[in-house]
Amino acid sequence: MTETETDRTGEILVDACTKAFGDTVAVNDVTLRIPGGEFFSMLGPSGCGKTTTLRMIAGFETPDAGRIVLQGADVTGTTPQKRNVNMVFQAYGLFPHMTVVENVAFGLKIRRMARDEIGDRVAEVMRTVRLEGMEDRRPAQLSGGQQQRVALARALVNRPAALLLDEPLGALDLQLRKEMQLELKRLQTATGTTFVYVTHDQEEAMTMSDRIAVMNGGVVEQVASPRELYQHPASPFVAGFIGVSNLLSFRVDRRDGDTLVMDLGDGQRISAAAATHAAGTATITVRPEWIKIGDAGLNGRDSQVKGTVTDVVYLGSVTQLIVLLPTGERLTVHRLNDEVGGIDPTPGQQVELRWAAEHSYVIAGSAPTDDDATAAGPDEEG
Amino acid sequence: MAAVSHDVTPATTRPKGPRRGVLGILFAPVTLLIILFLAPLVIMIQMSVVRFPPVTDSGYTLGHYTDVLTNDLNRTIALNTAVIATTSMVIMLVIAIPLAYYMAFKAKRWEIFMLLALVLADELAPVVKIYAWQTILGRNGIVNWLIPGPPVEWLLYSRFAVILTLTTTYITYTTIPIYAAMKAIEPSVFEAAVDLGASAWQQTKKILIPLAAPGIFIALILVYIPMLTDFVTSDIVGGAGGGTYMMGQRVRDLILQGANWGAGAALNFIMLGISGLLALVAYRLAKLNRMEP
Repeated sequence: MTETETDRTGEILVDACTKAFGDTVAVNDVTLRIPGGEFFSMLGPSGCGKTTTLRMIAGFETPDAGRIVLQGADVTGTTPQKRNVNMVFQAYGLFPHMTVVENVAFGLKIRRMARDEIGDRVAEVMRTVRLEGMEDRRPAQLSGGQQQRVALARALVNRPAALLLDEPLGALDLQLRKEMQLELKRLQTATGTTFVYVTHDQEEAMTMSDRIAVMNGGVVEQVASPRELYQHPASPFVAGFIGVSNLLSFRVDRRDGDTLVMDLGDGQRISAAAATHAAGTATITVRPEWIKIGDAGLNGRDSQVKGTVTDVVYLGSVTQLIVLLPTGERLTVHRLNDEVGGIDPTPGQQVELRWAAEHSYVIAGSAPTDDDATAAGPDEEG
Repeated sequence: MAAVSHDVTPATTRPKGPRRGVLGILFAPVTLLIILFLAPLVIMIQMSVVRFPPVTDSGYTLGHYTDVLTNDLNRTIALNTAVIATTSMVIMLVIAIPLAYYMAFKAKRWEIFMLLALVLADELAPVVKIYAWQTILGRNGIVNWLIPGPPVEWLLYSRFAVILTLTTTYITYTTIPIYAAMKAIEPSVFEAAVDLGASAWQQTKKILIPLAAPGIFIALILVYIPMLTDFVTSDIVGGAGGGTYMMGQRVRDLILQGANWGAGAALNFIMLGISGLLALVAYRLAKLNRMEP
């Protein structure tokens, strides 16, 4: 992709990196290409290898195999001090005996930059992170959000090729976290710096990222934009981790034009778009909000299933129904509460469900024609 | 002293049951301590200002203080003491700071064993430890047995022996406060410093030492001042030449051997003043580096 002579500012390549701690393989042959200026997130449950990967980019861990390439230069054996990246730590790591300004100026002083240039740069970054007026405070005198901004300023003032963030919002309460998410996105856009962001919170990753690498068990399950991840998850793990998802087993009984059909008898069927799969059995995913109740506007290609409502949970903007299908599987259905006085089904009631063939997305199959690259993460659902 | 022991009969103030609370429990020992500390102190003050101690009605004078301060021998001994105590203190800090750092951040599962070893080393009776050094450093001691050639004479009964013995005696009290201060440091500050380009030396100078400063100053108070008044060490491993004669020995000798109560008491209070001053300076410096207001 980027083998030609191009602008490599902020570009990061994690090339086939493996890292084990004792018997535990934390990161297993991970390759990531992060172009300059991207807001890139690594998302996954704890122990998935995301933080280890980040620490390898920063230089705090050395990969057992593979390379770390920063802006075209191999830095695998280089110490963190010599890498042109800076990290924002989960615990912030602010220097408690220094004022805000002394904290922020630390990196520049280490590099022996001229005093007035340090002053200019610090003043500029203090404006960028909106910390004016806090210059002479100590970290202990700041709120959690302000401490977070100091940590950001202290990293950004060095104008790193990339900023590495290790769950930086983990210690903040929900309200502040939402504010800081937008703030981080704004900062990233304003500075044009590559951000590599580690989180276990899928909503956080979705809110800010240009692209997300979903990791599980030390491997990358999928790298894609938030929209792509949600609509076309590459593995059952991704489908389960990003949003709520239904996983259904699917058997190709017949082909109906450009639609694959699984017949359930009594005119009931589950259909999937043919482009994705050809024959055999497969796993498909359907998002709860794509499933409609009733047969209004039914078209010949749609999935069409009868089921029994077992649970009804009112969630505010939507009502969540659990529906038992004739196949014995349970579907989660979200019914949008967009009308005054709308009546929800009750448990025990029979309902007719339908969804478009395009919304049955095949994520794993056992057909011979299937590309089996994504069958890595089994039986785990978020 | 008979008067003192007569006063110490706190049996009637013993608290009954938990109702009396902390104050009740503390009453007896606090009273005891006040009497035991203050009474001799008052007697010593009196001795330092009466003209012919221990005769208390012989009139008052500050002559003992001026005598003591203008005495050349006292100044030599003060210099001896300062050189020995300061050298020992510096050596202890040079050992204790890396040791405390290792224990706090690197030792992991060995941390508790190292801590235990330090405490146990201190639990041993001081006099026994000092005599042990005689066997180690003596003319026919272990060190001379191990190294070839004629026996090295300066190992024992020398300044070297006094400094070595003081260092091993007080290393626990130097290391533990520093270790405690370092234990309170959030380890991510070191990673943050590395990330911002700081070398090992820069981390030590700009992060570790300033953050461990409260512990270092507490160690100074705990160790430096007792060394100024130590007389056992120099008695046992010090030399006969006078180069190891320390202020603690001087005060004791003045009072117990010379029966010179006036000079001994005066010297005692001058040292108490100096110790208080040192403690105050160390305390101020330690507070200066406290993070929280």
